[in-house]
Amino acid sequence: MDSAASHSAAAGTVTRDVVVLNRYGIHARPAALLVKAASRFAGEILIEKNGVKVNAKSIMGLLTLEGNHGAKLRIHASGPDAAEALAALADLFARKFFED
Amino acid sequence: MWRTAESPRITVADFFDAGRRSLQLDWEVNAAHAVGREISEVALNRPGLALAGFRRYFAHRRIQVMGLAEMTYLGSLPVPERIARLRALGHVPAIVLSRGRHMPAFVRAAAADARVPVMRSHLVTGLFMNAATVLLQNLSSPRIRVPGTLVEINGVGVLLEGEPGIGKSEIALALIKRGHSLVADDTTILTRDSTGCIQGSAVEITREHMEIRGLGIIHVPSLFGISAMRNERRLDLIIRMQKAPAGEDDIDRTGLDTATRSVLDVPVPLITVPVAAGRDLTNVVEVAALNQRLKQMGHNAARELDDKLKATLARKD
Repeated sequence: MDSAASHSAAAGTVTRDVVVLNRYGIHARPAALLVKAASRFAGEILIEKNGVKVNAKSIMGLLTLEGNHGAKLRIHASGPDAAEALAALADLFARKFFED
Repeated sequence: MWRTAESPRITVADFFDAGRRSLQLDWEVNAAHAVGREISEVALNRPGLALAGFRRYFAHRRIQVMGLAEMTYLGSLPVPERIARLRALGHVPAIVLSRGRHMPAFVRAAAADARVPVMRSHLVTGLFMNAATVLLQNLSSPRIRVPGTLVEINGVGVLLEGEPGIGKSEIALALIKRGHSLVADDTTILTRDSTGCIQGSAVEITREHMEIRGLGIIHVPSLFGISAMRNERRLDLIIRMQKAPAGEDDIDRTGLDTATRSVLDVPVPLITVPVAAGRDLTNVVEVAALNQRLKQMGHNAARELDDKLKATLARKD
């Protein structure tokens, strides 16, 4: 699932595709983990599902995403620490948010 | 900056859910086939001509409404012919029977075979056509999902926006405590309705909830009563909260210049408010909303004072 990070030349944004692997999807606890991880980074981090993007530093935003088990999401990160941010968030997805 | 436009794809199930109460709908047959079944032309059609045999032009992508005329006509035909005519309508998105009529059992069996969802409305046909047309238009209106908290302050719809953690939800909470109401926390859906106004509402799954740092997720009507919530509100004003820059160069100090932002091609007044420690933003937001209402009523305090100043200065000239 960890497809290679790709650079979009336009805005200095890097993206990575991830899949929701934990059984219950992005409910409150995984959302809080993502917010906590995202908030450590200075740049803007967005998570996209079906064309809808929400801010990864907002719990309510992440909950509106309705990221069910198996959903394919794309993380967009910009700023000086964008690559580290992508790695940190993708790691949470890969670890199933420490659930299951 | 708001890029994520959603072009809504409307299914028969969406239509039924949205109109269940206002159109007094219930299912006649094939409810299960409504899920994911797209209404590709968002409008209604009375299939009288097609039932009578004229099918060279038939709006088969629309929801078909069977009123008294269609039902009476079908009733005048022999039974096998009725079923044949209904079958000949083909793959329509759905059929609505108005006036709360049921299909005769043998017709229902034929409809079940054809897998076409059939619902009943208890409204008379004319009323149903009007109400369902407005509902379909609202369902298919252009919409975007934007980051921001929407509140209603004395009848003014205000969208608070700014980086996560800047204090949007805290201000909304303080406004609720002062008797104003919340529409959507953190994420707001904006639609352009059939009259060209921008309407805001919450995403269904998180409606009525807020996240307050340190407290977590709270349920607003349980804590503050139902008057603290509104399902929908027209967007009158956007307040952008910005960490105070050193020079505050881009902050309007007179209120003479009215900035706007284009939302779904409609200009909406925009105010940028600097956020600094010790500033009571709740008051500022509340007054901004009142001032916006004054402007909508035709009073612009900044311009009126400026005109008075200019007149006074001219006399002294």
